[in-house]
Amino acid sequence: MEKTAALGIAIACGAAMGLASVGAAAGRVPPVLAGGVLILAFPVGALALFRWWCAGEGEEDIPFLGY
Amino acid sequence: MIGELIGATVFGLLLLGIHRKVIARIQGRPGPPVWQEILHTLKFSFKESWTPRTASRVLFVGIVLVAIAIWVAAFQVVLAGGSLLILFCISMLHKIVEHGFGLSSGSPYGKFGGVRSVISAASEIPLFVSIAGIVLLTGSLLISDIEAWQAVHGPLLYALPLAALAMYLVLLSKMPWGPFSIVESKEIVSGYKTEHFGIWRAGLEVCNGLKTSVLLYSFIVVFLGPLPLLWVLLLMLGIQVSLSFACALTPMLAPFDSVTVQSLVAGALLLYFLALGVVL
Repeated sequence: MEKTAALGIAIACGAAMGLASVGAAAGRVPPVLAGGVLILAFPVGALALFRWWCAGEGEEDIPFLGY
Repeated sequence: MIGELIGATVFGLLLLGIHRKVIARIQGRPGPPVWQEILHTLKFSFKESWTPRTASRVLFVGIVLVAIAIWVAAFQVVLAGGSLLILFCISMLHKIVEHGFGLSSGSPYGKFGGVRSVISAASEIPLFVSIAGIVLLTGSLLISDIEAWQAVHGPLLYALPLAALAMYLVLLSKMPWGPFSIVESKEIVSGYKTEHFGIWRAGLEVCNGLKTSVLLYSFIVVFLGPLPLLWVLLLMLGIQVSLSFACALTPMLAPFDSVTVQSLVAGALLLYFLALGVVL
């Protein structure tokens, strides 16, 4: 449940940053607003993505074997 | 915008990996692969994460978000050609963030690291002195204005080599395993980041990658002017390798020696710029 919520937050932040970037490039969103969205959403999105990916308690293996 | 941000973060991590590799080769070790810092970020991001019992949970997690956010802001400022003063204030703010990292965990190693972060804020003094020289010459603090000035008069590096030297010293002070890296020296384990593990350390790695890119890019923009992207990347690599040499060949200074050296450099530069101001 917690991992699903983390993925949801990561996707929401990614979508917000994508929309802000595209909007700013198209001139529909003020650059200051787009920058503000990135400043708020990038840290939260990154940590939420890591939280979704990280090993949970009680799991036997890690989800990345190509190290 | 988001593409540049992710690209800058990954490139910064790659530069930090190259930093480790160069230091290792100079010291006669094979060293890790150059993409080691990227792997580190991935590795920490899937490790099990926890918050120490002694930690202030809100600060422990929140400070990671703040650390990334301030460098995203710095990246936006540099890209938009904003004020150098904001950029350098963010650089100073990073010291407070390091202090927050150290205090949030409740670990004595973290606390020592945090206290040393405050002491090492002296490393920012040369930066503010270099600003004085830039303003004297260009008449503006805006990066876009400084770029425009350089388009007419040539790179600031030739006009103000000592200001460039001051900023180079600041870059050196931000590099891990350098002469001024007193915040993470081995006698205090990993300093302010000792207890931040798992996804919290991965977040810190993201911050470090972005910070490295922003600082090197701002040095190039301020002292060499606007250049094509390929040149910028190559110059960032070149400056990073030179910093790695400096870090590998210089022993880490004791905390008070570190502050003394940086303060003396700042004092000497201040005298130079005062004289320059009188002449101009």
